[in-house]
Amino acid sequence: MTTPVKAPVKSTKRGPGVPVQQEHWARRAVGRRETVLLGLLIVECIVLGQLSEFFLTVDNLLDTSRFFVEAGLIALGMTLVIITRGIDLSVGSLLALVSVTIGFSYQAGLPFALAVLLGFVVGGLGGLVNGLLIARLGLSALAVTLGTMALFRGVAFAVSDAGAVSSFPSSFDYVGQFYVGGQVPGQLLVFVVVAILVAVMLGRSWFGRWIYAVGHNELAARFAGLPVTRTKAMVYVITGLLVALAALIYTSRVSTARGNAGMGLELSVIAAVVLGGTDIRGGTGTIAGTILGVLILAMLQNGLTVAGVPTAWSLVAVGAVLIVGVYINETIRHD
Amino acid sequence: MPGDQVVRVALREVSKRFGGVVALSDVTFDLRAGEVHALVGENGAGKSTLMKVLAGIHQPDGGSLSIDGVETRLATPHAAVAAGIALIPQELELFEELSVVENLFVGARRPRTRSGLFDWGKMRARAREVFEALGVDTDVRRPVGALSAANQQLVEIGRALLRNAEVLIMDEPTAALTDREADRLFTVVADLRSRGVGIVYISHRLREIFALADRITVLRDGATVDTRPVGELDEAELVRLMVGRSMQELFTRSSHQAGGTLLEVEELSMAGRFEDVSFSVRAGEILGVSGLIGAGRSEVFKAVCGIEPSQSGEIRIAGAAVTPRTPAQAQALGLAYVPEERRSEGLILKMSIADNVTLSRLRTFSTWGLVKRSDQRTAAGAMTERLTVRGARLDAPVGRLSGGNQQKVVLAKALLGEPRVIVLDEPTRGVDVGAKSEIYRIVDELVRAGNAIVLVSSEMAEVLAMSDRVMVMHEGRVAGLFSRAEATPERLAAAASGAQHAGEAPAHRPRQTEVGE
Amino acid sequence: MSVAIPARPSSPAERLRRFATRPEAPSLVFLLAAVAVFSITVDGFLDVDNLQGTLSQVAIIGIVALAVNQVILGGEIDVSTGSMLATCAFLAGLVAERTSGLLAALAVALGVGAVLGAINGLLITRLRLPSIIATLGLLYVLRGTLLAEGGDTVANTPSGARVLGTGEILGIDVAVFLLIAVFGVFELLHRHSLWGREMLAVGGNAEAARIAGLRVDWIRFRGFLLVGVCVGLAAVVYVGQIGQVQATAATGFELQPIAAAVVGGTSIAGGRGSNLAPIVGAVLIGVILNVLTLLSVTGTYADLVMGALILVAISTDVLRRRLVGGSA
Repeated sequence: MTTPVKAPVKSTKRGPGVPVQQEHWARRAVGRRETVLLGLLIVECIVLGQLSEFFLTVDNLLDTSRFFVEAGLIALGMTLVIITRGIDLSVGSLLALVSVTIGFSYQAGLPFALAVLLGFVVGGLGGLVNGLLIARLGLSALAVTLGTMALFRGVAFAVSDAGAVSSFPSSFDYVGQFYVGGQVPGQLLVFVVVAILVAVMLGRSWFGRWIYAVGHNELAARFAGLPVTRTKAMVYVITGLLVALAALIYTSRVSTARGNAGMGLELSVIAAVVLGGTDIRGGTGTIAGTILGVLILAMLQNGLTVAGVPTAWSLVAVGAVLIVGVYINETIRHD
Repeated sequence: MPGDQVVRVALREVSKRFGGVVALSDVTFDLRAGEVHALVGENGAGKSTLMKVLAGIHQPDGGSLSIDGVETRLATPHAAVAAGIALIPQELELFEELSVVENLFVGARRPRTRSGLFDWGKMRARAREVFEALGVDTDVRRPVGALSAANQQLVEIGRALLRNAEVLIMDEPTAALTDREADRLFTVVADLRSRGVGIVYISHRLREIFALADRITVLRDGATVDTRPVGELDEAELVRLMVGRSMQELFTRSSHQAGGTLLEVEELSMAGRFEDVSFSVRAGEILGVSGLIGAGRSEVFKAVCGIEPSQSGEIRIAGAAVTPRTPAQAQALGLAYVPEERRSEGLILKMSIADNVTLSRLRTFSTWGLVKRSDQRTAAGAMTERLTVRGARLDAPVGRLSGGNQQKVVLAKALLGEPRVIVLDEPTRGVDVGAKSEIYRIVDELVRAGNAIVLVSSEMAEVLAMSDRVMVMHEGRVAGLFSRAEATPERLAAAASGAQHAGEAPAHRPRQTEVGE
Repeated sequence: MSVAIPARPSSPAERLRRFATRPEAPSLVFLLAAVAVFSITVDGFLDVDNLQGTLSQVAIIGIVALAVNQVILGGEIDVSTGSMLATCAFLAGLVAERTSGLLAALAVALGVGAVLGAINGLLITRLRLPSIIATLGLLYVLRGTLLAEGGDTVANTPSGARVLGTGEILGIDVAVFLLIAVFGVFELLHRHSLWGREMLAVGGNAEAARIAGLRVDWIRFRGFLLVGVCVGLAAVVYVGQIGQVQATAATGFELQPIAAAVVGGTSIAGGRGSNLAPIVGAVLIGVILNVLTLLSVTGTYADLVMGALILVAISTDVLRRRLVGGSA
């Protein structure tokens, strides 16, 4: 009794049944959220460029990347988490824990490579704790990661005994401070590579489809035979490993491992992800969007700093951009 | 006499569209005080939409609504409640964590004490009064979530009574009730009727309708077919009005050659859901499974297909004992389950048709972890062609399709894995007549190809027309097993209600391979 | 006519069962057990001064937690309380410096708090932003503005205005009385105001609430407004206790009221909880931190303990439901 939607004039015979008109690719591109965000980024860069002539130089832009890579890597994982209707507030604390693990185990005599490996293990385990509590026991992600946020921070403080490690092998500094071809910061390349990997995984692989399926409709995913619990848990483990990588780069960059690293990091990561179009209620989101979100926020903070605006105002800017950006996203979503 | 009663509400030439889909066209319906007016029709005929218009949830695009003779517009559900109209939905909308008293009073005026505080004592007393009027004794302080479905329904009715509802709309009220609970409900309905309350009674259970109703209105494809006093109709005539053509034209049934036993289940049990269930299905055979909702049919097959594993009992596929504990394991064994609720259990509405069809087997379409879109499209395309899915491109979100086409997509997904045993749970619910016909054709093809089909359905006609054998369940147990010749509507209905039956012996002993009939 | 459930609500067994299913029951039992154990094993715990000190410290978190608890009951969340507290405290401190009195400072704090709460409410009900985003945004904007405009300024509060933080009545800190008073108000709202009952309904099943005719948006708005007012009140206590307020005050505070509510038994999903939950949660956290101090365990373990408490609390809730089932 429902009348199938009939196609108007121009039609292409593809797929089953009644053909539906092809949308012109340019029109589709314009309507997409990522395009809107890209536009926002460009406008923002132009405006910031006006505030300071130094902003739009290659030197400065590359320099900015040294700072946003850490948040960016974590944001990749956070995107996956939020798509599955979860959230992870513990990433900042986990960063500190991994950083402290690397630093203090090295100080305790472990060969450096092993210390780094241990760091990754800790990152993965931290993610696993979150994953099991949330996916297996079915506890609220907000509540669990609120708890692990405090727990990981506490362990980080306990391990470091409120102290810090600053002596690392000179080769270590290389990780966070090297430049490729003298110009491009090494961590930017790392970020690009990892981002591409995650983007391909999410957008093209069967695991990525599983993530979207679980985020859209967990019940139907289960009926279809998808291992829902494992998928949800894995997403937190992946985030944990990305946090470990970020911790490695961060520790190298500042040449210090201490327990209060990454405070407040989780909120700016979530802000970037949500700004990038990922719906906090789950089901949708892209890596491209997240990267744009990260860039928008990073450029904003850098641009303001370079223009001599006191850092306090960049906090205001981040908050404002978050509110406006999400409002725009929500409005687009309902059209 | 019902004929003399005053008309309480009247809907005249009401129309409603949702986007491009016409849900109601020029429907006329009226309800008198003190009558039970049954509203019947196939799934998708427009019954729910019409009642939502009456309850102020939807606004009609055309036509009028009058209450006690005065033309009114019910802009919100609240307006309808204020006008004395209460909807008891099929899916109850209660607050599970709150007490019975609380649920009764949400949105209603609460009595206060002299000092301005809520008078909880009075509220509790009022609540108990309401329930006494319903003939129920209950602890009103208990959280609603702890009550049985039947009692929760009474809380909904209680809410309506507290607000002095004069019109009650009941949507499939006995769907989740046992027989005793249903009987209790009928007493309540009769009592309300005698007090002058007008009741719209939507149900698929023709027996109930003939027992309770004063008048019957039939809807088909969004339009009124007829309204008649119950005395002027019988079941066959009613069905003809509902379906619009002779039942038999709908079904496709070639002769079946039954082969070896593919699925055997022995003494399967799950506490609280079903007990000691045993049956078998052969290749090239359709086993119909009927029974009232709540009888445990879906639960049994969800257990067999690994979605909610059973606690005890044995399952054998082609003679070998198996234990499917996850849906993926069941699929690997050649079992496929097409769920009841296609929108919440069967499909991911926002994902594309191609993704939905291949969802269970994405890995087989992947190399190096990445899904090969061309392979995916080819396979999905072939399946959707074969099942005549119409209405959108493979890339379009499956939510855009009509109910019937969506159901075909769910079927496509199940068939992609080339299962040997296919369980169809209410496959034609909410599906238009045309698509129903096509689905029956597909089922017939599958059977002829040598698969074993289980057809769980609440539509008697469907079960009777398509099945080779029929298993009837009642309150978690197998109440009867009938051959095609033995299965009549009376016997099936009797078994579903728990009466004693005659029929073939329950088949726990595996049948030997036989020459086809 | 079949009988549904027997109606004898006052039998002792029934009463006990009803208590056991209350959301704050496990944490309350745990708190009492902990207090009992600590009284025996930890020197100085039962000291009146010590107990007083613990409760006073808990007061600020408790007052805010009571309001945040209601928001959580309604199915939303508020992570802006840290910046709100700092803003109210800072402004109140400055006003107190100038006027040397309590009333002006109090009025300013309450007023500013109300405005901030209203902003949250509008962002969520008008702009339809998810509450975590709206309150997160406000958290940033407020903190940034405060740091930018406040800079290094320190508000030194004269003793006259510090009475809510340092004053005593009958030997007990004013702050504790305030906490009890606010609790009383919330209990009244919760049990005897339409708003309180409707908040529970909205958090339990927002769609059903809408259909039942509740004005869901207005109900939610009032929740956030109330958080702002309570933060304003807590700010004056804070100013009283600390004396000097800087722009960096209360950084990271926002998660404490949420933790208190969750540890106390309120479900973060909404629709389930009570006013006792955030109090029990805050006191429990406070007691354990106090004991750590008495045992000379360094402050670095505070986070660890808090984290463990939260995880244990939410896990036991799930377990308890599976065992006893239902709720009150």
